[in-house]
Amino acid sequence: MSEPRLTALLQAILYPLFGAASLILAWQFLLPALGVPAYIVPTPTAILAIFAKSGALLLSNLWPTAIEALAGFVIGNLAAVILAIVFVHSRFLQAAYFPVVLFFNTIPVLALAPIIILIFGLGMTPKIVIAAVICFFPTLVNMIRGLGSASANEHELFRVLSATPWEVLWRLRFPRALPMLFSSLRIASATAVIGAIVGEWIGSDKGLGALIIQATFNYQSDRLYAAIVLSSVLSISLFVIVVALERRFVRY
Amino acid sequence: MARAVEAQALDVGYAAGSTVIAGLDLAIEAGTFLSILGPSGCGKSTFLRVVADLLEPLRGTIKVLGDDPHEVRQRRDVGFVFQDSTLLPWRTVRDNIRLPLAIGQSRLTRRIDDRTDELLDMMGIAPFALRYPHQLSGGQRQRVAIARALLGEPKLLLMDEPFGALDEITRDRLNDELLNLWRRSGATILFVTHSIAEAVYLGSRIIVLTANPGRIRKDVDLRPLKGDGNRCSREDPKIVAMMAEMRSALEAAS
Repeated sequence: MSEPRLTALLQAILYPLFGAASLILAWQFLLPALGVPAYIVPTPTAILAIFAKSGALLLSNLWPTAIEALAGFVIGNLAAVILAIVFVHSRFLQAAYFPVVLFFNTIPVLALAPIIILIFGLGMTPKIVIAAVICFFPTLVNMIRGLGSASANEHELFRVLSATPWEVLWRLRFPRALPMLFSSLRIASATAVIGAIVGEWIGSDKGLGALIIQATFNYQSDRLYAAIVLSSVLSISLFVIVVALERRFVRY
Repeated sequence: MARAVEAQALDVGYAAGSTVIAGLDLAIEAGTFLSILGPSGCGKSTFLRVVADLLEPLRGTIKVLGDDPHEVRQRRDVGFVFQDSTLLPWRTVRDNIRLPLAIGQSRLTRRIDDRTDELLDMMGIAPFALRYPHQLSGGQRQRVAIARALLGEPKLLLMDEPFGALDEITRDRLNDELLNLWRRSGATILFVTHSIAEAVYLGSRIIVLTANPGRIRKDVDLRPLKGDGNRCSREDPKIVAMMAEMRSALEAAS
């Protein structure tokens, strides 16, 4: 490896590692020294210890949230893509219903959550629905723009080739929309987890959201922080999957 | 001689009340290299779009290769090259050329053969076959666009200012290559350009359109001037004189 590339690699990996390590060290030693009590901010080692002690409990609460977030992610984004395809093919439907959809988007999902739980009960379904609703709108808006982003010349080219609407969708509109679809999927990878956890706050006895609420009320702050770390790991995992898919499918 | 394009009393417009082309009568013999000159808004590009069945005329008749333009499009006898190469950025050079194979092979009235390798060689772009469009120069992109248009061996090639965005050296080189292609294929080419020099150098016939609405201002058969192979030198005094003549026709048309 040449020297400049090595330097660049060091900078890309070593510097952020240094930044993270310095903050964790400050958290470990500086905060207790400043008199911040452990029931408000436990030290990193205390959080690690809880992973060793209550690993099974944490893991059993991770799975429901992971399933809800992933299912909500898939369903919400898929519904958005399908509706976007319908909208770009029907001016009437888009003109009639897109403003309504935008209006629904102004309702905070957190305000909707109790109603969704009233409708779907206390199982996993309402959490999946909340996660799906959160993912739905950004993807719908991005996808409508993406599917409409092919140029007039590109459409003429496909017409000269006598392409059917299906061929135009599959060979032109959809590949054109992919970069915009992935940028909303990246956002959705974090918001899907938020949706699942918010759903669990309102009505659930399992999942990371339920664990967060229980730990807060019981002053088990090390357990609370461990649940937060796992939520973050969940979002990061989804994000990494999205980026890997993007690298595979968007190569220009 | 068969007619490649025959338009009679052709009116073309976009919105109601705006006529871009009015009462156009034009017959183009098969095998012609027709250069179309004219000021902006004279309907040059619009005319190509009517021939390619991208646009319906308001009135009048148009026959392409003796047939309705719609039939000709379904038979894939027409190739179209745009000013911006209109390559799909997610496809490699090779896959861009093969685009016509990905569309309608089982449905349209003529199957086309995969001549990708031949065209990559012919257009001198074989070394870039696996690159993406953003990795190419403007001239290379336009070669790919031409290769794609030629894949279906069209009898009629429509070119809408294909070299308008290129530097002069690249443009001159592509002009010569295009002439060679035309001589070998025997296809008819309709070539819209803003460059008088390019129009005179390439064309075996040249027409100048007026603007608002588009009508034929001048129509010159260049074969007597250039001989059989439609060959000429850009410095030939007769060619230079023809360019000057076209310039004054164009000025009068604007």
